Amino acid sequence: MINKSKTPKIISWARKKSPWILHFNTGGCNGCDIEILSLLTPYYDVERFGILKESTPRHADILVCTGPVTRQVKTRLLRIYNQMPAPKWVLAVGSCSCSGGVFSGSYNILGGIDQVLPVDMYITGCPCRPEAIIDGIIKLLEEVK
Amino acid sequence: MNITEFLFNILIFPGFLFLLALALGLDWLDRKLIARFQGRVGPPWYQPWADLLKLFAKEDILPAGTNVVFTSLLPLLSFASVMTALFYIPIAFRRVPSFQGDFIVIMFLLSVPSLLYFLAGWATKGVYSIIGGNRSLLQYFSYEVLFLLAISGTIITSNSWSIEGIRQAQFEQGAFILPQIFGFLLALSGLIGKLKRGPLDIPKANSEVIAGPLTEFSGKKLALWILTNELQTVAGLSLLIYCYFGNLWQMNKLSGFLIFSVLLVLMQCLLSAISAMYARLRIDQLIRLNWYLLIPLSLLHNLYLIIK
Ligand code: SF4
Repeated sequence: MINKSKTPKIISWARKKSPWILHFNTGGCNGCDIEILSLLTPYYDVERFGILKESTPRHADILVCTGPVTRQVKTRLLRIYNQMPAPKWVLAVGSCSCSGGVFSGSYNILGGIDQVLPVDMYITGCPCRPEAIIDGIIKLLEEVK
Repeated sequence: MNITEFLFNILIFPGFLFLLALALGLDWLDRKLIARFQGRVGPPWYQPWADLLKLFAKEDILPAGTNVVFTSLLPLLSFASVMTALFYIPIAFRRVPSFQGDFIVIMFLLSVPSLLYFLAGWATKGVYSIIGGNRSLLQYFSYEVLFLLAISGTIITSNSWSIEGIRQAQFEQGAFILPQIFGFLLALSGLIGKLKRGPLDIPKANSEVIAGPLTEFSGKKLALWILTNELQTVAGLSLLIYCYFGNLWQMNKLSGFLIFSVLLVLMQCLLSAISAMYARLRIDQLIRLNWYLLIPLSLLHNLYLIIK
């Protein structure tokens, strides 16, 4: 999403070391949200990787979405995505947000997050384990230039 | 003083780079300590540097309809006023220009960011920004009075309105920390409000008003706001150290620098412990606590000092 040839080394280092996430539920069952929140507890403590959970899209680098995209939430999801300053990445957490999961085929959903936004990393599981989310974020950051 | 020495002083040693390292180091210490108090691991030492660099390299967007020049000036002005205040506060073992009344100048310069913080809320027009801005102004009217009243105990005893005079008085009478421990604690609680740290982080309470006046800020402007707050921590703590431990202060000596660092780290530990221990107050609880209890106490304390 960003021009890879131009970024100085120190900036890409800083981007790797300080991913601030914004958590958005696009219509899931709340199972994955609880797993994401458990990342902040002492047991998993993601602040050791510099990950902070921000509450406004303006401060965030990574949009962490859970659940399938419902017809109602689509415009809000796009709006939140547009409010984030570049460079930004999207993480689809849970089977629902990867493909629609147990909700796929339902009349009121559009499918996974990739129906609406460009997704950079998919993390499956219903709900996915916190270890898997950490692994996904770290693998995403390895791609960051 | 020749030009290279001048540039070195402004940019590197007591100037910008040293202050930056000090402020970011204290910020890391704060985050690490709070994490340890909560049983977490905490961020690595370079975390504040990475955060700032990343923010400076990010896109900078503002909501439609905001005045771009005005919103860009706000963080710049608050950064500039804190840096100017730091010029008059003797950080480390540096000698500073001192004159009668420089204390008032420092107090004014340190309170400019709080007012600009409120304006930032209005300028960006978000609902949460405006609520946060109003809260920060309400908070301003309580802690600022408390901080000034509490710290003026040292002015009354030393009978001087200048930083240098307060130091001289402590050389003659001994450090103010023991006879005025009460005033010190009151000033510290005022300082917590000034720095918007927990438990008084009411204007930027995450779970209530998102990020307060900074909700709509991103990129460079947000980085400047964060940097301003960190520099304010250095300024406030150094002022307290200076007013209450003045006789430990040896100018232009390595021991002076060491004493300063140890005191600074100790005070930061105290602030972090307070943040980790107490839950956030409501805005009305804060104002009641300040105006009914802490400000009368500091008035009584000053009265006692005058009579004595
Ligand atoms: S993936 Fe499973 S746990 Fe997560 S939101 Fe979907 S249904 Fe709920």
